[in-house]
Amino acid sequence: MSRLPTLAAAFVVTLAAVTGGAALTGYVTADGAAPAPEIQNDHYQNPDLIANDTPGQATVEMDATARSQTVLVDPGVEPTSPGGAFPLAILGLGGSSVADRDIRPLANALIENGHEVGVYVPDPDRQRRPAPPGADPPTQLGERLAEADAFVTFRTDYEPDELDAIESFVDSGGHVVLATEPDAAYSEPGAASLDATLGVTTESGYVYNMEENDLNYQRVYAEPTGETLLTEGVDRAMFPSATPVGTTATGSDVLRPIAGSELSTTRASTEAPLVVRDDDVVAIGDSDFLSPDNARRADNDALIGNLADFLVTNDRTPPGSGGASGPTGPPGPGQPPANGTAG
Amino acid sequence: MSADKPSTALTSRQQLAVVVLAAALVGAVLAPSVYAATNEPSDTVAVVEIEGPVTTALADDVESELADVRANDSVGAVVLKLDTPGGAPVASERMYKAVQRTSEDMTVIASVQSISASGGYYAMAPADEIYVLPTSTVGSIGLNAPAPRTTSTPLGPSGPDKAGSNPTQTWAAQQTLADTFVDAMMAERGEEFQMPREEVAKAQVYLGTEAVQNGFADEIGSLNEAIHAAATAEELGEYTVDTRETGGLSGLPFLVRTDTQVVAIYANNPGYADVEPMGLTYVHWPAVPHVDTIERFSETDLRTGDPTQPGGATGNATGRLAGGVGA
Repeated sequence: MSRLPTLAAAFVVTLAAVTGGAALTGYVTADGAAPAPEIQNDHYQNPDLIANDTPGQATVEMDATARSQTVLVDPGVEPTSPGGAFPLAILGLGGSSVADRDIRPLANALIENGHEVGVYVPDPDRQRRPAPPGADPPTQLGERLAEADAFVTFRTDYEPDELDAIESFVDSGGHVVLATEPDAAYSEPGAASLDATLGVTTESGYVYNMEENDLNYQRVYAEPTGETLLTEGVDRAMFPSATPVGTTATGSDVLRPIAGSELSTTRASTEAPLVVRDDDVVAIGDSDFLSPDNARRADNDALIGNLADFLVTNDRTPPGSGGASGPTGPPGPGQPPANGTAG
Repeated sequence: MSADKPSTALTSRQQLAVVVLAAALVGAVLAPSVYAATNEPSDTVAVVEIEGPVTTALADDVESELADVRANDSVGAVVLKLDTPGGAPVASERMYKAVQRTSEDMTVIASVQSISASGGYYAMAPADEIYVLPTSTVGSIGLNAPAPRTTSTPLGPSGPDKAGSNPTQTWAAQQTLADTFVDAMMAERGEEFQMPREEVAKAQVYLGTEAVQNGFADEIGSLNEAIHAAATAEELGEYTVDTRETGGLSGLPFLVRTDTQVVAIYANNPGYADVEPMGLTYVHWPAVPHVDTIERFSETDLRTGDPTQPGGATGNATGRLAGGVGA
């Protein structure tokens, strides 16, 4: 019986020798699979890859020393939308509003310099009220414009009688800033009517720049074509979603996109201006450039300040306003600001 | 027990001989398989499928299969069979790295079926060659992301970036994410691309016929031709094909886009828990159906029994879409 362990051991040793030999032979004759080398992907480690996320600084300053002017802003609030708190919001008394936030740098500059800022929000109840027989009542917008010296609008869908009111306003020397968007031609009706009233044009599509931009191809830079009131202190402005604008007047270009800019609809390079001015009207192919975040990019703060100067430097005298906010024009050296805060 | 029966008993030497012989016979039977396990010939082309939306589950499977391929000496070459509109950035990067490592070891050829765009293109870029069919779709090198929105001030978190961020920071992060993708593609195929980086970053998609002209692909060819090319490159001679399915067990989601972002839906009749917003994606946007389109499709299909009505004008895109979402 003592042989059983011996036999078992012999079996195991023999089996191990045969299979082990086969395994050893296999390993020895194998090509050998070395572990894959570490791969250095230098493109992931390029320090320039990390985009600069510093928000930047904005200082919106006004140079104009005009007396207190009334600037009416039409943020494009629909009459039926629950935007009733908006006029309070712009004065900091109501809840937050996107539209309020977006124009805050411009509104603050005007308020800080002693000007009035009004926000036009149509009253739906009033609109439904029938007009007196035989009368041609002014529109709600017309009533507000009658009291204003300047008008900033982000809206495109005006009724014909509202367009008449805007046209009269411009004819009487009021200054108008129209801030439009690439989408206006697609999703909003009536843009062409407003453009015709103000004598400006827009193109379909948006401007982008793949070579040099502000953190996104649609956030394009534009540079002045010359030295004007609107370009003082502006080496370069940034427009987050811009569409080309134009006027019928020659020499109206204010800011053109930088080299490398292309138009989405043609995919061809474009130099068409993004800001134009024809006397009393400034058209801007973007409405987001003056939001607080974008005011800190490039020289947008200087551009916003210049627009505020443009708005309050007008030849309009609202009827019934007497001499209180009388003709302002470019202020002379002996014409101090009405409340001492401007300038 | 029968020690005193001398007639049939083997001598101890004989017993030892029998045992050794038995062991040798058993060993001889086992030896070929042992030998083969340690020295298999490289005669297999592994076909690894990358199909449906690029998700974590898909990346898990593809990484696992490619690691197995690298460790298995019987596999001499790999063909990636791609049919995907892209998906999650990190999942795309994981597959990119896995393909990159594998192509260091052996020939890897990508074979595009209907579409390999965005994150799908990212994954296959390190392949030695990209095969496309004439009407395959490739490209879309870029990031899909909604424009950063400002939100009201969150009250409570421990720091300003904990529950919200500055829009400029988000813009910068998105730009970094996009540049990471574009830079990787320029590193992999910059010499093949017949266009500058700015043009690549426009994220255009190209049909196979154009892709082989502008460097987004290398050859017009089917899956079988890609397999044969891979085997030939490794001089495999007689070879077998081992197809490895991926993403099946954990279930790939449907990708659906809303007006602002892409969401992944993990069930046919989803509840809130089955819908996961993806936000930032390396996905070819037009290849992902809009949620309204799906609703219209369902309603029309149920009402009229005519499933061809919606999207009829974009039949090509719809066809890709079916493959794209892996439905």
